[in-house]
Amino acid sequence: MAQLTTNGHRVLVANLTGDSLRAISGSMVAYEGDVAFKNAGMGGGGLRAALKQKVTGESLSLMEVSGKGIVYFAVDAQDITIVELANDSMHVEASQLLALTGQIKTEVKFSGLRGASSGQGLFTTIVSGTGSVALLSAGGPLIALAVDPQYPLVVDPDAFVAHRGSLNQSFVTDVTWRSAIGGGSGEAFSLRFDGQGVVYIQPEER
Amino acid sequence: MPLELVNSKVVKSTLAPGQNVLARKGAMLYYTGDVHFIPHSMGGAASGMPSMGGVAGMAGRMMSGEHVAMMAAEGQGEVFYGHAGLYVEVIHLDGSSMLTVEADRLLVHDGYLQSSIVALTSQGGVRGAVRGAMTGQGLFTTQLTGQGSVAVLSHGGAIPLQVGPQHPQVVVDPQAYVCHIGNISVDISANVGWRDAVGRGSGEAIQLKMTGTGTVWVQASEQKF
Repeated sequence: MAQLTTNGHRVLVANLTGDSLRAISGSMVAYEGDVAFKNAGMGGGGLRAALKQKVTGESLSLMEVSGKGIVYFAVDAQDITIVELANDSMHVEASQLLALTGQIKTEVKFSGLRGASSGQGLFTTIVSGTGSVALLSAGGPLIALAVDPQYPLVVDPDAFVAHRGSLNQSFVTDVTWRSAIGGGSGEAFSLRFDGQGVVYIQPEER
Repeated sequence: MPLELVNSKVVKSTLAPGQNVLARKGAMLYYTGDVHFIPHSMGGAASGMPSMGGVAGMAGRMMSGEHVAMMAAEGQGEVFYGHAGLYVEVIHLDGSSMLTVEADRLLVHDGYLQSSIVALTSQGGVRGAVRGAMTGQGLFTTQLTGQGSVAVLSHGGAIPLQVGPQHPQVVVDPQAYVCHIGNISVDISANVGWRDAVGRGSGEAIQLKMTGTGTVWVQASEQKF
């Protein structure tokens, strides 16, 4: 399986030994060795996945990187965090996904009404399987927040990056007459998580 | 005095009488001591364009896009430089090799370094010119030689990659390329297939191939500035 490490905080280094990984199209900044890049569309899933992408607008344009050598990836100077999955799944905002290794599948899922009002689309991406996932966070390192049954968590949808574990996601609105006439605090919509798990947020709002 | 990093985005130069430091115009943040700033026009007779000094040279620079205005700091004191919140990398030249950098990535360099603007055609012939035009780097580039230090700008920080016997060929995305030092030849490789023509490419069609011995710096972003 391709080994992922980071060089500094913002460059992802992948060591390929004849295997392959998938990364966001156009995110390669340098490579050495004998490496090939090829469009991977939705990252497998064939025609159905392609159709789903067209319909959902959750754009996840991946390329398949294969061969022997070292490949460096980076996107807009965003910080990179590598998360290991062992037969596990994680919900990720598609724009914050950088690379996937091994036997990891991606799937687009309807995520309720939250996306409609926060302007992030109605669908999120689920990554599942065993391997490494590299996540991007704008504005600084990714922040992991633990959620316990006693301590539900509320986050801003624009800062949300990913969540894993058995979490229930709900949408909180705080629309009052104030926000209707433009006097709101700018925090009318929030995401609430209940249950047991981890929520990852970034220190910058999209 | 060599340039010193204060933090990842600010660089300090210590001035002594009789020395000067060249910097991007307007990049001074603050200074202490008795320091004067005077406008400076970038390198005159370049090795690639020996006949272009004076007005012709200026016209050439304006045409080439390599015309980031520089200023010289003179006097005695400490001057601190930074630009647009971009990360700064200090590179020391030992006199044995040449640094190639684009003018808009140059923040500060010691005044006693030789700087020249070189047409890419004089390095790599027509291919060099094609490379500049296709990658948006322009047809000219700045070269620095001598002993001293240089501060270059990058979006998100730059990482050095070795090119040499163990790493015979390093391929770089043109948008992420910052600068290179040493005896490296740069070649454009257009890996354009029918997939790119129909919009199904991997987004990595045009690449810079670096071969030889030296170091190339790559930034953590594909933003030009």
